[in-house]
Amino acid sequence: MSAPILTVEGLVKSYGGRRAVDGLSLTVGPKEIFGLLGPNGAGKSTTLAMLSTLLVPDAGRIELDGVDLVREPGRVRPWLGYVPQELALYPALSARDNLSFFGRIYGLGGRKLAERVDAVLDVVGLRDRARELVRTFSGGMMRRLNLAAGLVHSPKVLFLDEPTVGVDPQSRNFIFEHVLRLRNEGLTILYTSHYMEEVQRLCDRVAIIDEGRMLALDTPQALVGRLGEGLLVLGLPDGGLEGLSPCASRLDAVGKVTVRDGRLYLEANNVNRALVELLDLCNVRQIGLTSLQVLPPSLESVFLRLTGKRLRD
Amino acid sequence: MVGRIFALVRKDLQLFLRDIRGLLLIFFMPFMFIVIMSLALRGSFGGGNERPIRVAAVVEDRGSQAARVLEELDRFPGFDVETNHGGRPLDRAAAGEQVAAGEQAVAVIFPADFSAALEADPTERSAPAVVQVMLDPAAPVQIVQPIIGTVRGLVERSVYRAMMPRGLDRMIDWIAPEMAPARRAALRAVAERAAAGRMQDGGGSAVRIERVAPPGMRPQRLPDSFQQNVPGYTVFGIFWIVSLIAHSIHDERRHGTFRRLLVAPLGRGTMLVGKLLPYFLINLVQATVMLGAASLIFDLDLGDSPAGLAVIVVAASVASSGLGVLVSSITRTDAQIGGLTTMLLLTLSAIGGCFVPRVAMPDWLASVGLASPHAWALDGLQDILMRGCGVVEVLPRAGVLLGFGALFFLLGLWRFRFE
Repeated sequence: MSAPILTVEGLVKSYGGRRAVDGLSLTVGPKEIFGLLGPNGAGKSTTLAMLSTLLVPDAGRIELDGVDLVREPGRVRPWLGYVPQELALYPALSARDNLSFFGRIYGLGGRKLAERVDAVLDVVGLRDRARELVRTFSGGMMRRLNLAAGLVHSPKVLFLDEPTVGVDPQSRNFIFEHVLRLRNEGLTILYTSHYMEEVQRLCDRVAIIDEGRMLALDTPQALVGRLGEGLLVLGLPDGGLEGLSPCASRLDAVGKVTVRDGRLYLEANNVNRALVELLDLCNVRQIGLTSLQVLPPSLESVFLRLTGKRLRD
Repeated sequence: MVGRIFALVRKDLQLFLRDIRGLLLIFFMPFMFIVIMSLALRGSFGGGNERPIRVAAVVEDRGSQAARVLEELDRFPGFDVETNHGGRPLDRAAAGEQVAAGEQAVAVIFPADFSAALEADPTERSAPAVVQVMLDPAAPVQIVQPIIGTVRGLVERSVYRAMMPRGLDRMIDWIAPEMAPARRAALRAVAERAAAGRMQDGGGSAVRIERVAPPGMRPQRLPDSFQQNVPGYTVFGIFWIVSLIAHSIHDERRHGTFRRLLVAPLGRGTMLVGKLLPYFLINLVQATVMLGAASLIFDLDLGDSPAGLAVIVVAASVASSGLGVLVSSITRTDAQIGGLTTMLLLTLSAIGGCFVPRVAMPDWLASVGLASPHAWALDGLQDILMRGCGVVEVLPRAGVLLGFGALFFLLGLWRFRFE
């Protein structure tokens, strides 16, 4: 990977006594789509708020293109494009007036502004609705315009905070296509979501975070690949866990074994063989299973193995 | 930075021009108040071509004294005496119906023995002459008291006129019964002039009331109801910008646009200036439209100092903008903004004298009114429109208004939330 455009080290933010972000470190390369995946309340939006200068971290360092973002927020703000989770538009203004306003705020004017507004209206497919008031738009159209407002000033880095929440499938696909297109045109994108499918589909690399801490960071393929062919989740009676866990990790078809919240998580290199070997082992040890789940290799399964929770919990 | 502030101003002006409720609140509402209240209160002010107070008079008097009283009342400025109804002399029942129906403010009834009672020998009089005044019990004291006072004054003058010759004759009979008839007649003429309050030459009144202004002010023509109401309701309207500012800031928070602007290269100070400046400009346009329209449509005298007017309007707009920041900093919902602005602005307008002049209030309430920026703005406008003052004379009031603005702004800033 070439030199990172965004570097985050030891980022901390607390509210009261609770740490919303707890020692987060990551780097994002140029032209990369970097995903922050985690359930609601994991600390994604707080992280994004600090990266976009809305919040000052309690500790840690953020550097954007070589500039300390915490010390010199005014210098980096023109480089940031921010698309908040909630719509941030003026409903009583037209799409064009909204974009022109946000462009002027970033110092654009005259012909350059008109060209940029037309360009981003084309990007989000709203050129023919440019003169209509935003309050007449559908939810999906508003989302697309929300995205355009973050792009009008040609930022170096685009922060997308859950951009598909509440969006119809058609608009969601539209956003996916355009996020990929923007990356291909050279934009660096940091994308938060609790939808594993879209992170898996869009992101070059993914950081899985929960309770403010980063649990894993890799490409989606590598994260999913660690699960082999799938993930087996076994519920066991009292005493069964201790009896089965050491032996299970020695099975040929089983990779890494994790014990969490009274359940056994086994990464299966070969699901069928792993199941046969496990059931044999249970018979030999006379351990009865209370539950058995076979999960396909996915980020959802990765998250479950890492946290014992489902993403949508 | 100027370009960014210009962008913020332009955006808020665009939003304002598309907000029918805001336009009605700022321009239509105060103007309608001016028109309605000025027309409704035309009879309450003395100047110009004000509508006189109509007085129904029932004359049952068998002598001439009632007619003399009514003749003088009819000549009195501000009163219009009606003694006939439907081509016939007004009687007690018809007058009662008119007062009850609100067609007349008051009816004055002269009983049959009114003249006889006045003209009776002073040594033989046993009971006073009676004049009955019929009023709607709901009639306001501000209307009733001047009528009763005027009628009382005129009746008492008639009493002197009627009693003076008879009393003089009685004194001469006691002191100099042998006085010649010609001398007695001359003495009676002198006494009658004195009773009528006339100068010795028989010409003008013995008393002339001259209107002078306090030091530093110039006497203007008597104010009409528009001159009373236009400054009051202009100030009332200027401060309704508080509601617009608070709603606009709340909308920015609700729509998440403040959050987006905070990420932009703006700075919070620029954001606030850009948020308040358009409403300050709207205030200036509003005051110009209100005063200009009142001048063109109602022939309102705007005084001799446009610069003085500008100083007061600018200072009042600063105070209203500051109050807008304060209100937006302590409210979180549209309902809270609506409730607080209505209560606050009506109270400040009322104690500041926008509806009822502070001079008509009890001393303690008039003093409390000085805690309202409305009072200072209103006094400033009245200084220019009615007291003939200029820029220099209104600077202290403008200074107090700027102080109010600074205080409101700093208090608001202390509690202000951008998100």
